[in-house]
Amino acid sequence: MSFLELRHVTKVYGDGSSEVRALDDVSLGVDRGGLVAVMGPSGSGKSTLLTIAGSLEEPSGGEVVIDGHSLSEMSHNDKARLRRRTIGYVFQDFNLLPGLTAAENVSLPLELDGTGARRARTAALEALERLGLVERAGHFPDQLSGGERQRVAIARAVVGERRLLLADEPSGALDSANSEAVMRMILAACKTGVAAMVVTHDAQLAAWADRVVFLRDGTVVDQTVPPPSAEALISSGPKP
Amino acid sequence: MSAALVERPPAVGPVLRGRVAARRAVIRWGWRLLRREWRQQLLILALVVVAVAATVVGATVATNSPAPAGAGFGTAQDRVDLPGGDPRLSTVVSNVEQRFGRADVIENETLPIPGSVDTFELRAQDPHGAFGGSMLSLVRGRYPSGAHQTALSSALASSFGAGVGSTVHEGGRNLTVTGIVEDPQSLLDKFALVAPGQVPAPTTVTVLFDAGGRSTAGLGAKVLPRSQAIPSNAFNPETISLAGLTIGMILIALVAVGGFTVLAQRRLRSLGMLASLGATDRQVGLVVRANGLAVGVVGSLVGAVAGILLWLAYRPRLESSSHHRIAPFALPWLVVALAVVLAVVAAYVAARRPARAVTRIPVVAALSGRPPAPRAVRRSAVPGIVVLVAAFLVLGWSGSQAGQGNGNSGAPQLVIGLVLLIPGVVLLSPFLLSAAARLGRSAPLTVRLALRDLARYRARAGSALSAISIGVLIAVIIAIVAAARYGNVLDYAGPNLASDQLVLHSDVQNGPPGTVAAPAQIASESHAATALGGALGARHVVELDSVDVGVDHSGGGRTFNGQIYAATPQLLAAFGIPASAVHADADILTSRPGFSGVSGLALEWCKVPMTAGKGTPGPGGGVVFDSTCPSSGRLAHPVVQELGALPTGVSAPNFVITEHAIRTLGLRTSPTDWLVETTSPITASQVRTAQQAAAAAGMSAESKNDAPSSAEVENWATVFGIALALAILAMSVGLIRSETARDLRTLTATGAGAFSRRALTAATAGALGFLGALLGTVAGYVGVVGWIRSNALEGGIAPLGHVPVPDLLFVLVGMPLVAVLAGFLLGGREPKAMAHQPIE
Repeated sequence: MSFLELRHVTKVYGDGSSEVRALDDVSLGVDRGGLVAVMGPSGSGKSTLLTIAGSLEEPSGGEVVIDGHSLSEMSHNDKARLRRRTIGYVFQDFNLLPGLTAAENVSLPLELDGTGARRARTAALEALERLGLVERAGHFPDQLSGGERQRVAIARAVVGERRLLLADEPSGALDSANSEAVMRMILAACKTGVAAMVVTHDAQLAAWADRVVFLRDGTVVDQTVPPPSAEALISSGPKP
Repeated sequence: MSAALVERPPAVGPVLRGRVAARRAVIRWGWRLLRREWRQQLLILALVVVAVAATVVGATVATNSPAPAGAGFGTAQDRVDLPGGDPRLSTVVSNVEQRFGRADVIENETLPIPGSVDTFELRAQDPHGAFGGSMLSLVRGRYPSGAHQTALSSALASSFGAGVGSTVHEGGRNLTVTGIVEDPQSLLDKFALVAPGQVPAPTTVTVLFDAGGRSTAGLGAKVLPRSQAIPSNAFNPETISLAGLTIGMILIALVAVGGFTVLAQRRLRSLGMLASLGATDRQVGLVVRANGLAVGVVGSLVGAVAGILLWLAYRPRLESSSHHRIAPFALPWLVVALAVVLAVVAAYVAARRPARAVTRIPVVAALSGRPPAPRAVRRSAVPGIVVLVAAFLVLGWSGSQAGQGNGNSGAPQLVIGLVLLIPGVVLLSPFLLSAAARLGRSAPLTVRLALRDLARYRARAGSALSAISIGVLIAVIIAIVAAARYGNVLDYAGPNLASDQLVLHSDVQNGPPGTVAAPAQIASESHAATALGGALGARHVVELDSVDVGVDHSGGGRTFNGQIYAATPQLLAAFGIPASAVHADADILTSRPGFSGVSGLALEWCKVPMTAGKGTPGPGGGVVFDSTCPSSGRLAHPVVQELGALPTGVSAPNFVITEHAIRTLGLRTSPTDWLVETTSPITASQVRTAQQAAAAAGMSAESKNDAPSSAEVENWATVFGIALALAILAMSVGLIRSETARDLRTLTATGAGAFSRRALTAATAGALGFLGALLGTVAGYVGVVGWIRSNALEGGIAPLGHVPVPDLLFVLVGMPLVAVLAGFLLGGREPKAMAHQPIE
């Protein structure tokens, strides 16, 4: 069973003549350790798909299931707890909180979840160290470069026991070298068992994914077939 | 790559610790934001700082301005005053020492300053006495210790031309000046301090002691406890300061709501980010609330410190003007503490509403930085009207209690009624904004847009309108009540005299009813008045003959108040009124405007002279007769002639009986007062000299007091209300326009120039100003009419016929016009370019 499952998800904005169908009967899943890239033209519903998957927005229809739990059955606070503990979100424009240092930005989800400041900081420093940013831990966002900010944002998205990483154009504001580095980090997270879904315009970056889903006008128009897993290959080996 | 794993807090157990950690993280971020963005919060910070500082300074000045409570007691709780040479003195001192331990004896002898009408006290007092020590302070030199030594107060040393080491001649003996002293509780006190027992013939002797609450019966003299010497007044300076502070903080909270809302919207993306990280609604709201709390704490502490520093700087001037020393930290600490607490509470409460609002914004909308469009909510006027009606009824209850004259002032109901007016105004404000938007549908574009924006963004505009209305409400209530009260010509109120006038009162007025001055006493007092007038360089000294007559009013309401004099030719001539100007049939001449229109008047007098009975000796050589009247006379509907040439002061002859009436009605007159009019305003020094000279002649002198005139009260109230409303407008309009900055940018993009932007701001300010003035005035009238309609003492709503028209015009027309003008002049700034801005 997939870690993230979207079942016949529909999202409609407005009503009557002003109705806009952003997503129409979209179904897809992301397995543990899997990386799915979502591509499509502007207005195709990519970001809406991500926000619905991340419990930031309610679908008009269908169901979102994360780790076997349906979001529709969760309260507002349950969803907030899910975002603190399970879902990591990476935005195109980083969205680091001004006034907090890089380390404080990374430790924020843990502290919000009740972890003591000292332990949260230790965890944040470890996450930053893995991303090669520990020496910039005390710097404020406006003292970091674009690439550094996005690395901090990724550190914040993966710190703790996050098992679902959602990234909305994570390399949109970066040059090609930094973009590739970001994708490398997301892939590294996936190798630890994190399920990831990345929205991108860049076909080269999408190529890093296990599977690419194409959206147009809110519907899935195409998707690459995921490569068979080793287990599947073994089980489907030469028949006697 | 792998994520760093940390151990989660246990689900059960230290949940509280987890919450605290989360709160700490959120508050830390809020604090950092406050430090980074304090400039954006300068407005609210400044409001809180100014309010707290003004409260600290105002309350401290108000509480320290009057003479110290219990002045003349030192640190004693009880005192006995005896005339000098009273044989009971030694018994009293012995009894006090035997029963209560210690006693301080202070002897005073009043002596003239050589070559002056001024007097001073020769005072024998132990400077280190148990209770009187605090009434003495050594300025320089040392205290006298021997028989031929003295220490002078500064003023007396100046009069004597003496200094430390010089010799003064007093009472046939030479005294060496050892020091300069003062009475910290009365710096005007002119005295020469000598060692105990060195006053040969004291005029008065004071015994200070502390009975410790035990009975003082049987001491042999009347004891005055300190508690009786301190006037008790429910409306003391602390109470008034706290009332002002509370209203001020309500206004600040209303203005701050707008400020915090705009601030929350500026941080909308950050708050959305926080929510996307998994912060609960409570935690997101906590950022805004913590900000409010921090602004309140910082503002109130800075305000308190600023207030204390201002007070310390102002203290010497207050000491000089109030004529007593004031300890540097003699602050009303309860008021200071409450000011700090109320400021924090006001800022926190103001932040709660935007905190709630921001949590209702969907995370995705918050992340995009676009607040949702305000919902079209139709506001009903009913809740506001219901509360105003409740205020009207409660104030009516208060008025009926106050009008009974049975000692029940109806104060609690009055306070509740006035407080109810505030929610009434707050509830009606959004409705008024909606109504204005509907009414302005066919107005020009900028006005229409401004009115619609005010209605759409009611969170800011509504609270700003409420604050403006409350400011106006206070001013209007004061102006209406002042106009009604000062307009009452029966119970005449206002300043007592002009600055070039002085009235000398005969001592017989201090005697019991029925006291009549003896002819010799009248001659002596007349002589003293003439002499004093000469010393002051008076234009004239007019003898004022009191007429033994009363004014009865059967129309209800307040009764007649004031001294009734005879319109003697001398008095009329003094005010340039020729005899021909007085109508032949006039009974009463008065300067009270509108008195001739009062119906139900009658003159009443006693037909039998009091002097027909047997009298007993009274004060100042007067005689006290039985004042019961066996047969009284009455003249209904006396003929009243208004004469503007007569003086208008309450203690001046503003109401006189014509000689024609005195003659035909057989009224009796007797000289009781003398009016001295000088060519230039009488100085404080001349007043002091006159008071001492009058006291020496057994009279008292009354000079211009500080009571304000009707116009002064109304004008100051109007200025206060307009200034307050304009200040709130200045703070609010910027906030409201910043919320619609996006529209302004769109307007600019579509070709609107500076004129349109100016017109938009001017229309916003003008509309808020006018609606605030209108709502405040209506609510003010609701309150006053409610209170006065059932007040029998005021005689119903008739006094409200005196409408402060110019003041209301200033409020209703002048203030909105100023707002329009200021908005137009200041509102032409080009909006910043609109761009998608990341959080950082």
